[in-house]
Amino acid sequence: MNEAVRTNFDIKDYLRLEMMPHFMCPGCGHGIALRCLLWAVHELGVDKNRLAVVSGIGCSGRVGAYIDANTFHTTHGRPLAFATGLKLARPDLTVVVITGDGDCLAIGGNHLIHACRRNLDITCLMLNNEVYGMTGGQVSPTTAIDRLTTTTPHGNAEPTFDACRLADAAGASFVGREVTRQAPALKSVIKAGLAHEGFAFIEVLSDCTEIYGRKNDLGESPEMILAQKSDMRPEAFGNAADEPFRPNRLRAGVLVQRDRPEYGRVYRERAAAERAKAKAKG
Amino acid sequence: MNVHVPHPHRAEIRLAGSGGQGLITGMHILFRALALEGKRAAQSQSYEPTSRGGFCYSDLVVSDELGDYPLATRLDMVAALSQVGLDRSLPLLRPGALVIVDERLTPDPPREGFDLHVLPILGRAVETGSPRIANVVALGALAHLGRLVGDDALEQAVRLETPAKYADLNLAAVREGLALVRGLGASTAEA
Amino acid sequence: MTPSLAALHGNRACALAAIAAGCRFFAGYPITPSSEIAEQLSRELPRVDGVFIQMEDEIGSLAAVIGASLGGVKVMTATSGPGFSLMQENLGYAAMTETPCVIVNVMRGGPSTGMPTRPSQGDIMQARWGTHGDHPIVVLAPASVQEIYDETIRAFNLAEEFRTPVIVAYDETIAHLLESVVIPQRRTVATVTRKFARGDEQGFQPYAETEDLVPPMARPGDGHRVHVTGLTHMADGFPTQKPDLAARATRRLLDKIEQNRDRIERTETFEVEDAEVLIVAVGIVARAARRAAQDLRSAGARAGLFRPVTLWPFPEQALIEAAAKARHVLVAEMNAGQLALEVERILGRGRVARLNRIDGEPIPPADIARSIREIAA
Repeated sequence: MNEAVRTNFDIKDYLRLEMMPHFMCPGCGHGIALRCLLWAVHELGVDKNRLAVVSGIGCSGRVGAYIDANTFHTTHGRPLAFATGLKLARPDLTVVVITGDGDCLAIGGNHLIHACRRNLDITCLMLNNEVYGMTGGQVSPTTAIDRLTTTTPHGNAEPTFDACRLADAAGASFVGREVTRQAPALKSVIKAGLAHEGFAFIEVLSDCTEIYGRKNDLGESPEMILAQKSDMRPEAFGNAADEPFRPNRLRAGVLVQRDRPEYGRVYRERAAAERAKAKAKG
Repeated sequence: MNVHVPHPHRAEIRLAGSGGQGLITGMHILFRALALEGKRAAQSQSYEPTSRGGFCYSDLVVSDELGDYPLATRLDMVAALSQVGLDRSLPLLRPGALVIVDERLTPDPPREGFDLHVLPILGRAVETGSPRIANVVALGALAHLGRLVGDDALEQAVRLETPAKYADLNLAAVREGLALVRGLGASTAEA
Repeated sequence: MTPSLAALHGNRACALAAIAAGCRFFAGYPITPSSEIAEQLSRELPRVDGVFIQMEDEIGSLAAVIGASLGGVKVMTATSGPGFSLMQENLGYAAMTETPCVIVNVMRGGPSTGMPTRPSQGDIMQARWGTHGDHPIVVLAPASVQEIYDETIRAFNLAEEFRTPVIVAYDETIAHLLESVVIPQRRTVATVTRKFARGDEQGFQPYAETEDLVPPMARPGDGHRVHVTGLTHMADGFPTQKPDLAARATRRLLDKIEQNRDRIERTETFEVEDAEVLIVAVGIVARAARRAAQDLRSAGARAGLFRPVTLWPFPEQALIEAAAKARHVLVAEMNAGQLALEVERILGRGRVARLNRIDGEPIPPADIARSIREIAA
C-alpha cells in the first residue's frame, strides 16, 4: 500500500458499472458505506486485483457485488468463516468482509467472536441498519427497544446487542464505529481498519428508511441520518451505563486499537520454524 | 499354519482384558512382526468413549487374501488378562481354540473344549519390572504357542513398536513370555 | 523407486493421501470417529507449507475450506454424522459455486448424537440429498485402508476436474482398522489440478457453458475479478431469476456429473458372471459379503458381490449388468435400508431382499450367508 494519500478518488473506477442501477432502496445508508469503503481502498492504493470482498446474506450481503474486485457472496452468517479460510490460504490478498447486524450478530455471532479472538488480518464492516431488510423487516439483535418490526408487532422487548463492546470483549485488536452521516470520518475509520494488521471490526451505523424508518415514523432518510448519533442506543460502547442519555453522545471513531500478533503471521512463522527443525534433523 | 488355525489362509487372534492394559500396543507389535515376515494382517479393537477400564480387546486377522474380512468371526486363539475379557470373548472362540489366561487375573477359565494354558503372566511381568508389561509377556506366550511368528521377528518388532526408553524392558517381557511356554507348543501340536 | 508398504489406520491413510493429492488447507472441528484425520493433518500440513485450522464449528469449517479453495488451493475437511449435518448448508454452496472440495464423513451410529464410537452406514442418503435443492454430488465409499488412501486421492482429482464437492464416506470400522497399505512414491501419484482462467480478463465468463461443461476457475490476484454467489447465476456469475437462464444454469450443474459418469463411476465385482444370488454392499459390509460369497461358493451356491466404490452417482448400468443372471439380490447395509432404495429403483422390488443392522455392530459374513440361504430356499 502507498504511504502518500491518493486523491482523485472516482468511485466509478471501483464499481461494476454494468451492474447499475443497484438494488438498494432510495435512502438506504449502505451505498454511503460502500462509497466510504472504496474511498479508503483508493486512498491506501489497494490493488483491486488483490482485493477480496466476502459478504453474507441480507441487504449488506448484496453490496459486494457492485465492487470491481474478487467478490464472494456466501451463506448467511458465514462470511467471516469463508474469509478466514481465504485469508489463511492467500495472505497476499486484502480481505474485507461486509456483513449486517443479523448476519454478523445473530446467525454468525459465533464466527464473529472467534474471528476477534484469532486476529487474522481481515477488515469486517458490519452495516447496522437495526433490521432484517431483505426478508421484509423483522427484528434483529440491534433493533432498539420498543421499535416496531414485522415480528415485533407490539414493540421490541428484547435487549439490544452492542457489537463494538462484544468485539472488544472477544479480543478484536481494532474496533471502530462511525455513522454514514459523516462519510469522511467513516472513510477514515475504514482506512485505519484496513491499515491495521489484525482483525478490524467496524460497525457502520446505516439506516433502513424504507421498511424500518417508515414503520416507526422515523422520517425519511435525511431525518434518520441526522438522528444517527442522538437516536441510537444510549447504552452503546463507550457511553457509561449510568450516564444519562443525551444527544450526540454516541462514541464513534477508533474505539479500540491494541497490539496483538496477527494469527496468519504467527501460524506461518511457527510452520517455517517446524520445517527448519525437520530439515536440520534430516 | 498350525493346529490352532484350521483355515490355511486365515488366523484370528485376540488380546482381551480391560482398557489401559496395552492390548492395542501388543497387537501392533504382532502386526509389525508379521509384516517383517512378509505377512498381511488387519488389526481392530474395541473403540469406546472411555480409554481406561471396562472390557477391551484388540484383534488381529492374519490373511494372505487381499481384502479379506478384517474382523474376527471365529477366534483361533486368545490371551486374556481379565475375567471379563475372557468371558466376553468365549462366544467367538472356535472349539479347540488356544486359550491363554493369567493365573490371578482370570480366576475362572473354561475347563473344557479349549487348549487352555494357565500362566503366571502378571507375576512374571512384576518380577521383570512392571505390571504394565503383562501385555508383552502374554504376547510372547501367544506368539510362541500359536506359532505365529519367529522369535527374532517378534523381538525386532518389540524394538520398533515400543518407546526407545522402554525397549529393554519390553524385550525382557517378551522373552519371559516365550520362556513361559517354550517347549509347550510342540506337545500341544502333537496332542 | 518402489512403493513402500506401511501399516496405517484408515483415518491416518486418509490424511496422508490428502497430502499426496496436493491438499494444502484443512479446516475441521473435533468429532468422533474422524478426529484422527484432523490431528494428523495438523502435523502434516505445516511441513508442506499448508495450513491447518480448527474452526469454531463444522459450519465454519466447510466455509473456511471453501474460502481457501476459492483462493485457488486444494482443500479438505473431515467430520462425522452430526458435523456432516451442519455442513449441508455450505455443501450446497460448494456445489452451486462449483468450488472443488473434499469432505470426509466417517459414518457413526445415528440419528442425532447416536452411537459416536460405533460404525454405521446411515448417511448414504444424506450424502446424496442432504443439502437442499437439485445439486450434483460425488460420493466415494472405500472398503479398506488401502482404498481409503486411493479413493481420497481420487476424490481430490474428481473435485478438481469437475469443480464439485466430493464426499468420501466410510464407516467407523474401517476408519480405525490397521492394515497394510501400499504407499506409492509421491512423484508417481497422478494428481489433477483445476483449470484456472488465463488471459482474456475482459469479458471473462466464470460460469460459461464450455464444451466439457466445466468452466475454468478464476483465481484472485490473476486479474479476472469475478463474482461468486450461491444465488442462481448466469454465465457472468451474477444472479438471475430468468426462467430460461436459471434452468440452464442448474441443468449444466447436473449434466457435468451426469455426462461424465464413465469417468466418475467405479465398481468392484466378485464372481458375478454366473451369480444366481447377488449381494450389493459397500464399506465393511462388502468385505463381509465377499467372505460370505466365498463360503457359499465352496458350499456349491453361486453367489456374487457387486460393490459400488462410487456410491453417487450410483453406477446404475454396472449394477444392471452384474445382476443380469441373478434370481435374487440381497442388499446388506448397516442402516434401516437406504442403499436398498436405489437398488430397488434400478432392479425393481421383485427380486431384491434386504439385510439391515442398526445396533452399531458390523454385519458378519455368517449373517449374510444365512440370509442368502433363507432367500434361496
